Parts: sequence; C-alpha cells; structure tokens
Amino acid sequence: MSSAPPPDAGSSVPAVEMHGISKRFGDVVAVDGVDLQIGDGEFFALLGPSGCGKTTTLRMIAGLDIPSEGRLAIFGEEVASWPPDRRPVNTVFQAYALFPHMTVAQNIAFGLQMRGIRGADADRQVAEATALVQLEGMEHRRPSQLSGGQQQRVALARALVNHPKVLLLDEPLGALDLKLRQEMQVELKALQREVGITFVFVTHDQEEALAMSDRVGVMSEGRLLQVGTPAEVYEHPANRFVADFIGRTNLLEGVTESSSAVRLDAGAVVAAANGLAAGSAAALSVRPEQVRLHRRGETPAGAPCLDGVITDATYLGHAFVYTVAIGPTAGASGTHASERAATITARSETGSAALAAGEPVSVSWSPEATTVVAD
Amino acid sequence: MPSLRRAKPAAAQSTDAGPDTPPSLTPAELAAQRRKRRTGTLIATPGALYLLIFFVVPLGLITVYSFATRTSTGRTSLSGWNLNSYERIADDVIGGIIARSAWLAFLTTVLCLVVAYPFAYYLATRPPRLRARLLVLVMIPFWTNGLVRIFAIRFLLGSNGPASALSEAMGFGTFRILFTPTAVVLGMVYGFLTFMVLPLYVALERMDWRLVEAARDLYASGAKAFWRVTVPLTRSGIVAGCVLVFVPSFGSYVVPEILGGAKTLLIGSYVARQFQAARNWPLGAALSVLVIVAMLVAVAINQRNSANAERTQGVTR
Repeated sequence: MSSAPPPDAGSSVPAVEMHGISKRFGDVVAVDGVDLQIGDGEFFALLGPSGCGKTTTLRMIAGLDIPSEGRLAIFGEEVASWPPDRRPVNTVFQAYALFPHMTVAQNIAFGLQMRGIRGADADRQVAEATALVQLEGMEHRRPSQLSGGQQQRVALARALVNHPKVLLLDEPLGALDLKLRQEMQVELKALQREVGITFVFVTHDQEEALAMSDRVGVMSEGRLLQVGTPAEVYEHPANRFVADFIGRTNLLEGVTESSSAVRLDAGAVVAAANGLAAGSAAALSVRPEQVRLHRRGETPAGAPCLDGVITDATYLGHAFVYTVAIGPTAGASGTHASERAATITARSETGSAALAAGEPVSVSWSPEATTVVAD
Repeated sequence: MPSLRRAKPAAAQSTDAGPDTPPSLTPAELAAQRRKRRTGTLIATPGALYLLIFFVVPLGLITVYSFATRTSTGRTSLSGWNLNSYERIADDVIGGIIARSAWLAFLTTVLCLVVAYPFAYYLATRPPRLRARLLVLVMIPFWTNGLVRIFAIRFLLGSNGPASALSEAMGFGTFRILFTPTAVVLGMVYGFLTFMVLPLYVALERMDWRLVEAARDLYASGAKAFWRVTVPLTRSGIVAGCVLVFVPSFGSYVVPEILGGAKTLLIGSYVARQFQAARNWPLGAALSVLVIVAMLVAVAINQRNSANAERTQGVTR
C-alpha cells in the first residue's frame, strides 16, 4: 500500500488520524484495520463500491458508530468513545436528513441552538450560512418545498454554520441528476477552498472522487487498499482491484518473467517494470487511452506490441472505442496451447482514421503508461 | 387498464373525431366510467344499509328525543319540543359529572401516553421479526372478553386481593383503592392502553432515525434529540392515540360501573341511568348528543393533525 503523506496545509496535526480501526456488526466485519491520516484543510475522498465500509468509516469519525478496535483522533484528540454531540465534526447525510418539521432557517439554526447560541448572534450566523450556499429568500420554506439541489444546500449550510473542524459528506451528490451533480462538484470544491475546512467525502463514483479531491482512499471489503492523489491512484494503482475500479482499464493476465518483463497469457513477453518475484501471477494494466492502434505491420519499434483483430468499433462523438481480440483466436499462427485469448479496449480521438470491425491491427503502448498489479 | 387505453384511438376514429377535437371522452370511455361507478355503488350498498339502519336512524332518534319532554309518569312525549334537557346540562350535579368524567379521561389519557410511548418506542426499534411477535402480545388482551378482564382487575385491587395482601405483607397496611376514582383510572388505562400503543407504534415505526442521528451530529444530546426531533415527528401518533383514549374514557360505562364506587358517577353511567332507572329519556338523549359532539370535535382535531403531518412530512419521506 503506497501511503502518500498528506499535503502540508495548516497545522502539522492531522485533522483525522486512524490507527487499526475496525468495526464489526455481529459476524460481519464492515471495516478491517484501517490506518489513515487526513491532513488539515484537505479534501479527502473515500472511494469504493457499496458495502466496502466507506460509510461506516465516515460514521465512526462522526461518532454515529463506535469502533470495535483501534484509535481515532480528531486534531490530536482521542475521540473514539465520544458521543457525536461532543465531536467537532458535522455531517452532510446521504439523503440530507433535513428536519421536515422545521423551516430552512430552523434547520440551519439547529446546531447553533444546541450549543446555546441564540438571538442576534445566531440569526447573523444563519444568514451568513444561507448566503454561503445561495439560499437567500428560502429561509421560511420547508424542506419538502425545495428541490433536491436546494435540499442539498440546506444540508451543507446546516453543517457549515457550526464551523466544524472536519466536514463529513456521505454521498452528498448521489441523489442529484448528472448535470446538477457536475455543477455541485465544482461548487463544493470552491466552497471547500473558501471555508478552508477539512472535507471527508464518501462516494462510489470514481470520477467524482478524482475530480474533486486532493487525495483519494480506495476501499474494498472493509480494507483501505490505496491512498494517494488522484493521479497516483489512476496511474499507479496498487493492486488489481484499484486498477479495475478507478477508471477503465485493460487487465492483461500474465506471469512475471523478471522484475522488468511480464509474459502475458495472450502470448507475448512485454517490458513492464514490477516489484514482484519472477513467476508470480500478475496483470498488466493498460488504460484504453494509452493503447495505440496500428495497421498490422506498421508497428513502432521498441514498444510492446500485440497483434489482434478489431471485433467492435463504437463511435462516441469525441472518440472511438475499439474492442480488439488478441491472442490465439486472433489468427496468429504458431500459438501455444497455454496461450489464452484476451480483449483490449482502445480509445482514440475521432480525428484519426476510423477502423472497422474485422480489420487486423497491432496494438502497442508505451511501457511507462502501464502498471503491473498483483491480486 | 392498458387495453382500455389502446381502445381509445379506434373509438375516436369510429366517431369521426379529428385530431384537433378537444380531449373529450369517447363513448367507450364513458361506458367504462359508468360501469366503474355502478360497481362502486353495488359493493358499498350492504355496508351503507347496515350503517343507515343501526347507526344513522338511532342517532336521529336520539337527537329527536333530546328535544322531547318527559311526562310526569316518566314517559317521553314527542309533542312539546323544548331545550329543557340541554338547559339541565348546565346544572351543578350534571356539570360536576361532566367535569369529573373529563378529568378522569384526561388523567387516563396522560397515563396511557406516559406508559405507552416508551413501550411503543421499544417495539418500533426492535428487529422486524421480534416486532411482529411483540405486537401479537399487545393484541392478546383484545381477544379476551373485556368484562372478564375488568372483573379480574376488581379482584386484583380488592381488599382481599393480591395487591392488598402484598401491601400488608410489606407493612403498608391494607390496600383500599377499589371503588375509588383511582381504580377507575387504573382500569381505563389498562382497557385503552392498546389504543395509545398502536398509533404511537405506527408513528415511531415510520420514524426516520437518520434524523435523530442528524440531530446528534448537530450537538443535540440524546434527550434533546428526542424532544426536538422524535416527539415532533411522532406528533400525529401522539394526537391520534390521545383522541382514541380520551373519547372512550370520557363516555366509559363498564369500567366505572365495575371498579368505581357510588362517588365516582361518570357521564356514561349517568346516561345509562337516565334511560333505565330514572326514565328520563330526553335528558339521557341530550347528554348522549353532547358526548357525541365532543367526540366529533376530537376526531376533527385528529383529522386536521394528520393532514398537517402529511403536508409537512409528505415529500421528504
């Protein structure tokens, strides 16, 4: 697991620090030994498929779930056993969880009231928070009279008005339609810069995580698999799951020959740096946009190259996506029985010449653009 | 339904309706609508007839009688209409009975609420399978004869009963609450508790507990989250339960008759007495009308309350 240090910002004390945090519900291990440091002022995304433990991790930071094991500190204070109302964090819940019996202003004022802030001071802070999320004029509406996007803003204001040290967001954009979601991604990012609060963001949408966050933690089956900047996890996935989950990739199965070459099941030895012992099962991850297609025989020298046949060509407007069958079924002579067929997805800009299904091609990529991943 | 819809264009063509004609119903649609209405009327008829004969007619008679005159022999004369019976309601004796009935009904309602809310809360927060079993337990007393249950309480509270024996054994002396208002309230709480538990259970079961988590996240202690979020959001259940307990407690007849003494004359017993021993049907009828009006007011409050609850919570659910 490559664990990049958090980018330095603000204080040197991490906003959130987890050591060996686990959470069990009966026999089910929801979170399994998570170690994580989130820096002050960071926009951190916890990314993973549903059921991977990311929401439970967030709930443990909020205090809504108490860890079964491990240490949890917020700005250096051990909070693992504190109730949620004592923690300097606030949450934007997945379905917003706005109080339906209160107006927008009452919802936003709730946290202030609970901390004994009332009167003119509270009114001023509520007005500020309302302005921050651009909800002026909606103060006296009920949540049920608002659109999804507006409800989302109320939830944000209700949390931010308390100036939490860490803001937790549980799939806050999940209930919005695509266009609004993309707008809110930009807005949330800008908002985080404006308020300078540490954001911990849970999402299953890898594009969202890559687009918004300073660092991403990828989770699967309760474990934190990799933590790094979006570029790090995209370009250098730590293992097969991360490679497959983040973006689209071609995973070419094979066995390492040496620390610099992999024998692919599809029947070629290609140069690929890896830190594995020779003879270990591994897969070569090649992103579709890194794959180059050539007419058979026009292959560039020096680059790993496989022969194949286009089986499908899809026009996407801005790009073509090709599926190329490689390996024994691709018609190459002298194949070994051990070689297995594979397909590669390639993506190319529409400007280049279109290729048709059935065309024999060669595929290549630059060795630096690939990562060897083990299980 | 889909087949009906598909039939529409064909019917429209047959009547030569052009594409520009305003959207009016085709003969096929009208016929379907008539059929539907006829079916509706048919299936409602038995129930409507039953209610008409055994509810509307007697209610009408009661109302008519309440304006009639009691002759000196105790008969009811339908010749001279007057408001004498209603004027008597303001009487000290009757006013006292009404006030006492309302007070005991109020006590019963409050006690039921205090006992039922934690219990319903417990029920609603159990795993679904356990919930179903516990609900059956709540319903079991309902399947037992009410009179038997009240007599059992009478035995329990009696000066020779177990409660008294226990109190004596513990050195508190004999236990004398049978035939007092306390016994009546205890009996009514027992008798009507289910009416409180069920609406509260329904409200709590529908409760979105994430809202409580949100409150806790926003610095509310457990108690504050309860008062500021759980209670307001289960208000419809609280009001419904209170109405359902208050109304029958107010007009209760059986429980006060069995557990109450001579000093605990309540309106239910008093009305019964007018129709029986006192042979003053107009007064009994007038009091009945009063009780019914009070109940209707309570029901109206309940209806407005649930409409409000739907308005404020409908969309976010």
